[in-house]
Amino acid sequence: MLLNIYLKELKDCFRDRRTLLLTVFLPIVMMTGLTLFYDSMLSSDNDKTYTLAVENSFQGEAERLFAEVPNIKIDAVANPEQTVEDGDAQAALVTDGSFSQNIQNGTPASISIIGNSFSENSAYVMSAVTSTLSAFENTVVAERLQSEGVDNSLVQPFTVEQKEISSEGGAMMMLSLLIPLILALAIGVGAGPAAADLFAGEKERKTMEALLMTPVNRTTMLMAKWLVISTVGIVIGLITLLVVCLEVAFLTENLREAINFGDQFPLIIGFALLVTVVYSLFNGALLMLTSIVGKTIKEAQSYSAPVMMLSVFPAMFITNLGVNELTLKHFTIPILNLFSILKELLAGVINYEHLALMVGTNLLVVVLFITVGRLLFLKDKWVMN
Amino acid sequence: MIQIHEVTKKFQDKKKSVTALKHVSFTVKEGQVVGLLGENGAGKTTLLRSIATLLTPTDGSIEVAGFDTVRKPDEIKKRIGVLFGGETGLYDRFTARENLVYFASLYGLSKHETKIRIDDLALKFGMRDYLDRKVGGFSKGMRQKVAIARTLIHNPEIILFDEPTTGLDITSSNVFRQLVHELKRDGKTILFSSHIMEEVSMLCDSVAMIHKGELVCHEDLEMLYTLEGSRDLNYIFMSKLVRGGNSYAS
Repeated sequence: MLLNIYLKELKDCFRDRRTLLLTVFLPIVMMTGLTLFYDSMLSSDNDKTYTLAVENSFQGEAERLFAEVPNIKIDAVANPEQTVEDGDAQAALVTDGSFSQNIQNGTPASISIIGNSFSENSAYVMSAVTSTLSAFENTVVAERLQSEGVDNSLVQPFTVEQKEISSEGGAMMMLSLLIPLILALAIGVGAGPAAADLFAGEKERKTMEALLMTPVNRTTMLMAKWLVISTVGIVIGLITLLVVCLEVAFLTENLREAINFGDQFPLIIGFALLVTVVYSLFNGALLMLTSIVGKTIKEAQSYSAPVMMLSVFPAMFITNLGVNELTLKHFTIPILNLFSILKELLAGVINYEHLALMVGTNLLVVVLFITVGRLLFLKDKWVMN
Repeated sequence: MIQIHEVTKKFQDKKKSVTALKHVSFTVKEGQVVGLLGENGAGKTTLLRSIATLLTPTDGSIEVAGFDTVRKPDEIKKRIGVLFGGETGLYDRFTARENLVYFASLYGLSKHETKIRIDDLALKFGMRDYLDRKVGGFSKGMRQKVAIARTLIHNPEIILFDEPTTGLDITSSNVFRQLVHELKRDGKTILFSSHIMEEVSMLCDSVAMIHKGELVCHEDLEMLYTLEGSRDLNYIFMSKLVRGGNSYAS
């Protein structure tokens, strides 16, 4: 009987155009946009050319200074600051008119960097210009000390070397935040209409009364409907992951190089699917509760929207944490642990203890939700309008 | 047979308790068609839902086909067909046949039994032409026929209709009336609520009138006409309500 109801409800869901749209097309569009955006973002630092506006008189010196910075193009203009304000350059260098002369003479010289820190491009150029000028400053100091017969080590007592313990770049960190968020939102948004339709919709259409008049046990009905909501979520999750994998493999260059799981690829994808299944079961149980409480589809949706936002919220708690900073609590707290596990997996880490904790704690909450759902579903107040 | 014995139903709404039925007792004999009359909010739907096992009486008991509604609801559900409203309880994205097959499966009918029942009902209600079309595009009359077919898919002994012709046009209402005649011929026990006195006069063997949750009259229709000295059921209904204390009936 459970299978009968499950198959019928699933068929009904997939005949609904809203469900189809949210289940198949939305994840494809969302993930395509995200994947291509991040691929372009990864390539932007290397391939994109930025414009640095300088005064006409400073053009030669500027070209010499920035000859080693390949993606900065020098644009000599009468008013560099105005050029930045007009958006024709990302940053500008303004000197006192005798910058090169003063450096040569060993007299104080000044130079201003003008840019807009709110613009990522401008901030990048300002940072590159600052680094270049800093290197130039060091060179000038070294030359002056040498000419005075002083050892350079007197002003540079030590050197600083920065080493990364993680081979992953900043883009990978962003991806480890955004992929779980998009996955969670896609599952939540996609399974929402099905959930609202299966309980509140049945009450609104009066099909619930017809259903309750059959000799089918209410718990069987509840379980079948919960499984349908969860299945819709799982399908969305699978499509989302599939789209990401295919697009990263065939449509991107930089992301393909950034996401390199090596031999662990099948395992990581397999566990990502496990996370998707667990999240869909959790999400299904939560949406089921909002739909039982709602008398109409509209009412159920007004309950499910904030609840969905809350279930995605824990992802924010681990935004600034590296994989090595995640502690046991991050893998014990339901929902938060789903995001923590995905973060680990995206960093290429497979920890079976953490995976078991994630599955166990979330399924415990699912059982709790289903028990509450059953109690509500057995009461006349919640099954009939 | 339906035996209603001293049934009281109270609804607890936050701090307020509403009594929808007060010590209602009457019997619907096998093969009888009984009309349930009453104003809006009189308690007709509550009574029908209680008989259908969807609501549990606060006090008293109901027996349907020899089974208690509280102790043996599943036995009753196998033997009873219920239609709340004229054309409700259908899945719009399913065809008429898919709707009927689904409910047949929930009642535990085999594929063979289901096919025979659907063929019978399609013939009886003239649904063959649109049996494989999606219900979402149906007219009210077509939907009503499918809804009634769904109610009868498991060939129940007892049928409950809650205001089955409300909101339906004259053709659809006539389809229903004709069907009740046929079901009566087949020996089914029918209890239906209605506001339409002509319909009740035309179809019923007896009537039960409910006013503010209390049964004010349960009588064989012919006997009622004799006792009241009139064959105008509308007049009789209003005079019964006057005796029941309704100021609108004067």
